[in-house]
Amino acid sequence: MTVSILHQLRVVGSECGDAFVVRFLMAPFVSEPRMIRVQGLFKEFDDPRNGIFRALDNVSFEVRPGEIYGLLGPNGAGKTTCLRILSTVLRPTRGLAEVDGINVVRNPEGVRSRIGFMSCNTGIYDRMTAWEMVEYYGRLYGIPEEKLQARITEIFNVLQMNDIRDRLGGKMSTGMKQKVSIARTIVHDPPVIIFDEPTSGLDVLVARAVLQAVSSLRDQGKCIIFSTHIMREVEKLCNRIGIIHRGKILAEGTLPELADKYQQPDVEELFFDLIQRREEEVRNSGTNSEA
Amino acid sequence: MSWKNIRLVFLREVRDQLRDRRTLFMITILPVLLYPMLGLGIVEMMLTFSEQSRVVVMLNADDLPTSPALLDEAGISKEWFEDGEEETSKLRVLAERTAAADDKEKSPRRPRRGEKTDEELLKVAHQLAEKIERLHGLRPEDVASTNSDPASQSSGDSSSESETNATATSANDTAEAASAEARLTAAQDDIGQQFGTSGFQVLVIIPKGYRAAMEAMQREIQTSSSATTDVDAKTVATQVPPVLVVRNSADDKSMVAFGRVQKALQSWEDAVRKFSFEQAGLPKELQHPARFAWIEVAREEQVAASVWSKMFPALLVIMALTGAFYPAIDLGAGEKERGTMETLLISPAKRVELVLGKFATIMLFSTATALLNLLSMGLTGQQMSAVMSDGMANRVSLDFPGLAPLAWLVILLLPLSALFSALCLALATFARSTKEGQYYLTPLLMVVMGLTMFCLSPAVEMTPLYSVIPVVNVALLLKGLLLNSASSGNLVVYAIPVLISSIGYSMLALWWAIELYNSEDVLFREAEKFDIRMWFQQLLRTKDAVPALPEAGFCFILILMLQFVAMAYMKPDLTNGDPGLTMMRLIVIQQLTMIACPAVFMGMLLTTSLRATFRLRMPSITAMALGVGLAIVAHPLTVELSQFLVEHQVFPELPESARQVMGLMKTGDKPTWLLLLVFAVTPAICEELAFRGFILSGLARGGRLAIAVGISSMMFGIIHMIPQQAFNAALLGLILGLLAIYSRSLFPAMAFHFCNNAIATFHAGEGGTIVADGVFFSRDPDGFLRYEAPLLILCAIAGILMIVHMIKVVIRDQDAKRRGIVPGFREPADREEVVA
Repeated sequence: MTVSILHQLRVVGSECGDAFVVRFLMAPFVSEPRMIRVQGLFKEFDDPRNGIFRALDNVSFEVRPGEIYGLLGPNGAGKTTCLRILSTVLRPTRGLAEVDGINVVRNPEGVRSRIGFMSCNTGIYDRMTAWEMVEYYGRLYGIPEEKLQARITEIFNVLQMNDIRDRLGGKMSTGMKQKVSIARTIVHDPPVIIFDEPTSGLDVLVARAVLQAVSSLRDQGKCIIFSTHIMREVEKLCNRIGIIHRGKILAEGTLPELADKYQQPDVEELFFDLIQRREEEVRNSGTNSEA
Repeated sequence: MSWKNIRLVFLREVRDQLRDRRTLFMITILPVLLYPMLGLGIVEMMLTFSEQSRVVVMLNADDLPTSPALLDEAGISKEWFEDGEEETSKLRVLAERTAAADDKEKSPRRPRRGEKTDEELLKVAHQLAEKIERLHGLRPEDVASTNSDPASQSSGDSSSESETNATATSANDTAEAASAEARLTAAQDDIGQQFGTSGFQVLVIIPKGYRAAMEAMQREIQTSSSATTDVDAKTVATQVPPVLVVRNSADDKSMVAFGRVQKALQSWEDAVRKFSFEQAGLPKELQHPARFAWIEVAREEQVAASVWSKMFPALLVIMALTGAFYPAIDLGAGEKERGTMETLLISPAKRVELVLGKFATIMLFSTATALLNLLSMGLTGQQMSAVMSDGMANRVSLDFPGLAPLAWLVILLLPLSALFSALCLALATFARSTKEGQYYLTPLLMVVMGLTMFCLSPAVEMTPLYSVIPVVNVALLLKGLLLNSASSGNLVVYAIPVLISSIGYSMLALWWAIELYNSEDVLFREAEKFDIRMWFQQLLRTKDAVPALPEAGFCFILILMLQFVAMAYMKPDLTNGDPGLTMMRLIVIQQLTMIACPAVFMGMLLTTSLRATFRLRMPSITAMALGVGLAIVAHPLTVELSQFLVEHQVFPELPESARQVMGLMKTGDKPTWLLLLVFAVTPAICEELAFRGFILSGLARGGRLAIAVGISSMMFGIIHMIPQQAFNAALLGLILGLLAIYSRSLFPAMAFHFCNNAIATFHAGEGGTIVADGVFFSRDPDGFLRYEAPLLILCAIAGILMIVHMIKVVIRDQDAKRRGIVPGFREPADREEVVA
């Protein structure tokens, strides 16, 4: 609790703009603080085939602390683009994205210090030991040295990584690498953690361990976005989900809400229905524009 | 920017590289071991190496004079060689001797497998000699005659030659001459072929009766010198026929053997002459009436320095690049490949900090590699010179250069490594994978190698122009400093421009690397299939109002290539017609086809709005006035600046073609309107359409106007080829670009360009009737109009005021645009704008 108050004060100190407005002036009108706020987000890329490829088309959602928001969609739906915008490595073409009340375009460094990011693509250095790797990132996040050592010790204990402490990255198994990745993601104790398909390409045991880590982070009150194309993970983990396809959020809500709204208790069926509908929509609009 | 983060990244990367066995091997182990191994190898090779002896066949060797004797039992006597024993052993002389010498002959040399026996060699030699004789018979100019009768030669070579020549041509008709020519060629080919397969490399034919002729001549010298009072007897009538030496210039082996034989024959000839003079009782000095002695002024370490001056700069440049090459690929593309790039990018460290940390690492390795290589090579050289007591090493000492040159070496290495490190990092960041990184860096390596080779040439010396060319400047300065420490005083002057420009280039490269780190396209490029048809379709489909950046770049390259290709055909033929008119016609054609056409064509094909692309908007009157006014005030300044630079030899003299053009303006035999049309109107329209139109519009699209203007003016300079004009054009290009951006119209720039060229034409034509008053105007000895300080100061003040005004307006407009209060003109759709 004290940590979170301190945290808020730090936010006010460094960010007297949006953060202040969101946290204090708007506080009476907002029931719960929104850690992540995405509103009307567009992202366009130059595409050799169609000129402009719209990866995100008016995407909006919000995530609160202690909640796992599942971004469910097939490959190429725009999940990674959306999460990369949240982690400030991509700039949105239009629209608003805020983390902890900080705009990702105006203060990317501020956003980066408040998030942890892990994806199936994020790797670790081959010629660094597990400890060095986590320590390096801890220092990049500017954590004071004594605090950092204590924190890493704690993480290594929790994740049971003490036996690979001095092993070089190149000599680790996939599971070990994934543990190091998780440790790197949370070393600075970020209030927001973004998981972009963290289990893809992992064997079942490692995937299970990763999912357990995610759920225990939620229990610590973190605000988590979790993207995947695997239904089971969503059903197990997520408080709320957004189904995304071709850059558009097709449906959003808790699982019971969705089942209620679309009269389809099976998430998987719902998912395919929505995607099919979106495909038809795109095909129609495509022919319309050509005609 | 936090130094803590830079240090953090730097330390991590260094540790990472040091843990990489391959990098460690390339950077430390290889140089430390390579040079000693190479040195050892060379010593070993020299021990086992013996030059194969070349065969010289000497026909009719009996007819050589006995004193001084050219030959001894072993071949050509060693006293005729500079190096005595050593060179004798490299020639195997097969002298043909008749019966008298036969009994003296020891056991004949047993030929090795594949070699011909002496008898065979002699047989071939005789055949060749005969053919050569016949060839000389065919050839009208018969130089060598084997005629033993000295009297027949009395008329002298040259006169008999011309006589025979004259009779031959007058007597024979042309057809016969042609067939004779053909026979001559055939005979030559035949001889050449037989000589090639003969098994010997040089054939020496001693003419028959050589000794007799020689002795006769000696006697005559004796008598003429003793009979000093008798004027008639003073002429020496005897002609000694020349010794024929046959060689094959196309064959290296033959040439080497020929060189040796020639040297021996020359020193033998000297001895013969000396002997003759001695016999005749003449003073020995007669043989060398103009004597000279030489004194070596270079001390031993300076000779050594000249070896290092060639090796060290080249090695330094190449190794500094190699040292940057591998770590850069690992730190740039490797990071992407491992998936750690993204984790780095989402850490709170700023991009600048990441780039600087990586840059420092690469630079450390680049510097270390270069220094280790130099150290290892220097020490090896020293060691080798100590080991090899003879041969090359005792003539050239390989001691280390002094402390001062070494200090310079380190000082100059730093900006060089910085440049390479930043360039390599940028290219490696651009690459998607390490393999792609190698593709990008190889051209860089090749360009740098080419520049280094250029610097190695002894004729290339430091000039003010070279002192600002990257890589060349450092290599040349270093070469000069190592070459001669004593005269390095005047070279140190160049150190300042060299250092400043090198640091400038490395800053530019570093800025580029940081830019790339800020570009999401570069960081998250996906490997996609490149389909040329699809790409072209997309190019035509997704047109915009103004050209894209790559299109602008391509337009420039197209113009450059067209100019290069056309260079050969653009040389005016000055022999027929009116050369001036031809040249003017060519200039107009070149302007229209190679500058205006590509730009206009690309504009029509690739953009939707010619008006926006070529800035065809009505300018304000102020803008037009500024264009004209700036042209007027800029002219005296540019004239004086280029005169100053020429006088200080920053630029070489104008090449012939440029001077012809200048001369054309000067002569005044062309009407003024024609001169203005060719030199002012055409360039003003064509060059502006291309450079301030298409190219600047494309470059300015990213919103970085200053950089766009800078790059477009550099391109404008490059297109002018001649360094002097290029410099001028680049400077004026800055003003032109500013004018175009400021007025959002091409016309003020055209006005400036027209006025500038028109005034220059007027100025080249002696400046008309302007009176040289010595305060504002003066004339130099050539009648060239010059401008004096008061006028220059006035112009400078006026020019600066106008430029500052324009910059202010541009900044204000940009600011308004950024804040969304877009004024009426609004540039076409700027998709990059983020509505946050």
